[in-house]
Amino acid sequence: MSSADALKPRQERWYQSKRFRRFRRNPLAVVGVVILVFFATMALMAPSLTADRLGRACLRDLGLGRSQARAVLHSPLNAHFWRAMFAPPKSCYSIPRVGYSPRPKPPSKKYPMGIASGGYDIFYGIVWGARTSFYIGVLVVGVVMLIATAVGGAAGLFGGWLDNLLMRLVDVVYSIPSLVLAMVFASIFGRGLTKTMIAIALVAWPIYARMLRGNILQVKAQDYISAAHALGAGNLRLFFKHILPNSIGPMIILASLDIGAIVITASTLAFLGLGADVGYADWGQMISFARSWISNPGGEPLKYWFVWFWPSMAIAMFVLGWNLMGDAVRDALDPRSQ
Amino acid sequence: MLNYIIRRSLQIPMVLFVLSLIIVGLMQLLTPQQRAAAFVKSDKQIEHLDQIIKKYHLDEGFLVQYELWAREVLRGNLGFSRISKEPVTTTIRKRLPASMELALSAFIPIVLVGVWLGTIAATHRDGILDQALRVVAIIGWSLPTFVMAIWLVAWVYGGLGWFGIGRLPNSMLIDLATGHFHRYTGMYTLDGLLNGRWDVFFQALKRLVLPATALVIVVSAGIMRVMRSSMLDELGKDYVRTARAKGLMQKAVIYKHAWRNALIPVITMAGPMLGRMIGGIVVIELIFNFPGLGEWAAKAALQLDMTTLLAFVMLIGLIMASANLLVDIAYVIVDPRIRYE
Repeated sequence: MSSADALKPRQERWYQSKRFRRFRRNPLAVVGVVILVFFATMALMAPSLTADRLGRACLRDLGLGRSQARAVLHSPLNAHFWRAMFAPPKSCYSIPRVGYSPRPKPPSKKYPMGIASGGYDIFYGIVWGARTSFYIGVLVVGVVMLIATAVGGAAGLFGGWLDNLLMRLVDVVYSIPSLVLAMVFASIFGRGLTKTMIAIALVAWPIYARMLRGNILQVKAQDYISAAHALGAGNLRLFFKHILPNSIGPMIILASLDIGAIVITASTLAFLGLGADVGYADWGQMISFARSWISNPGGEPLKYWFVWFWPSMAIAMFVLGWNLMGDAVRDALDPRSQ
Repeated sequence: MLNYIIRRSLQIPMVLFVLSLIIVGLMQLLTPQQRAAAFVKSDKQIEHLDQIIKKYHLDEGFLVQYELWAREVLRGNLGFSRISKEPVTTTIRKRLPASMELALSAFIPIVLVGVWLGTIAATHRDGILDQALRVVAIIGWSLPTFVMAIWLVAWVYGGLGWFGIGRLPNSMLIDLATGHFHRYTGMYTLDGLLNGRWDVFFQALKRLVLPATALVIVVSAGIMRVMRSSMLDELGKDYVRTARAKGLMQKAVIYKHAWRNALIPVITMAGPMLGRMIGGIVVIELIFNFPGLGEWAAKAALQLDMTTLLAFVMLIGLIMASANLLVDIAYVIVDPRIRYE
């Protein structure tokens, strides 16, 4: 090794960085990642995992017969396999029904988690529900960050009466418990997954916007912003190239901690009956199928445990995974928590 | 200070005004027929929806509708609740004590558990106990309230047959309705004591245990976190070192010196905590069959009873805003270093 090489600073890859090492060495983070990888695999492989129990509408939309479904959805060489995995038709999200009996049926070989009242296959709902949960959590947080960037950005950048107006709006929305307001919005918008997600996003953005605004005000006062301005950078360039990248960090930490909370709100709305359409693979709604079988008044206690146990465990573990990871992300990125 | 209080109190009506604007504005997404459904009191009226729409000007613009609503509210008429089939104000008067009883019975354990566990975590910093409590807090934080409530109902009430659900057994409710039972507060535990009816007191208390436990598990994790970090802050300060240097015992340092100051930031948690509690109460009342305001609102949301929902949100807004004002005032009383101008 020549002396010139020794003097050159070693190129550091992201996985060698101190931050990532801190994340990796945190046992809670590892548990969180393992949980999330488990759910992600389940969500991605949903068509293969449920190949022999897909509903009639789903098979039709996939263009498959019941007899070939298993073979096709288990072979990665088939084009249908990839289509089903990454762009399954909407009908596949409805839980296929096995009869219409209001009485749940205990787990059996064909239905390993049992059948809920109304003939809903619980295993199918759990597997496809993982897809729904990822979809809700990631998409809502993404939309919320966009709204917050627009509102917080405008407020922080322009200041004055606009700032005042937007921040008062933030105060008002923030002053009501998010579940209560989301409940009212979801009630007005009506049933449906997209509508629920809009309701949640409308309630969740204020805290992000307020945080981003604060950070933007801080960054705006820095010398390098005046320098960029003096060099002739326009408002847009200043915002997207200099201000936003330097003030968005805390918002990303907040987002990673908030996905769990958003999934909780979504599943609570679904449990109340304000979520996706009836029969949609959604864990919160699946628990509401169990409503009349929870307390077993007078009957054999815990006879129908499977109707509420699996979906409630799924929600709890899913949210736990996100929170463990979010907590570790904050510890790794936030210099104050060292 | 007085100036500050007056200014803040004047903000409360503003918050309620904007809130009602938002919700009435969003209601314009509904068809006049859907809005009219909120005014239907009996099956017969469904055939005359057009008349209702005319009578309440439901097909007119947003401003007309808002003005009509606001005028009635300012007169003290919050409307007629389709869900409870009586005026909204009557329902609130009947159901508010039930929710208050639940909230109050959960409040003290929440604070005690949160503060106690937070102190333990801080004094055993990075030890096994601290790590274990951290995991417990994340789990508590991750459990949706309704999942916790369902587990408690299924395992403890359904499985073991302990405690109970509802507010009182039906037989006792009939007994109270016919006998001489004076409702001083509307809270059965207090009323039972005031009337000298120990059976009522115990039955009501028994049925509060599970819903309150669900609330404690879900809400106290947040307090514990704040308590832990503020306690750590205080323990690192000079006056604590001085106290130790004087030779004070660890217990005296922690509980006489650091503890009092560490509790101050916990007061700021009261607002968010109340919010989390109210959200939790809505779901918990539904699952535990507890006839309070939350159960009423949840049913109203399901049946698009906008009159009820609007009134409920206004009430929650009023409670939250007043609570936040009280927290700010309490903050100044506890910590004289803080001044509002």
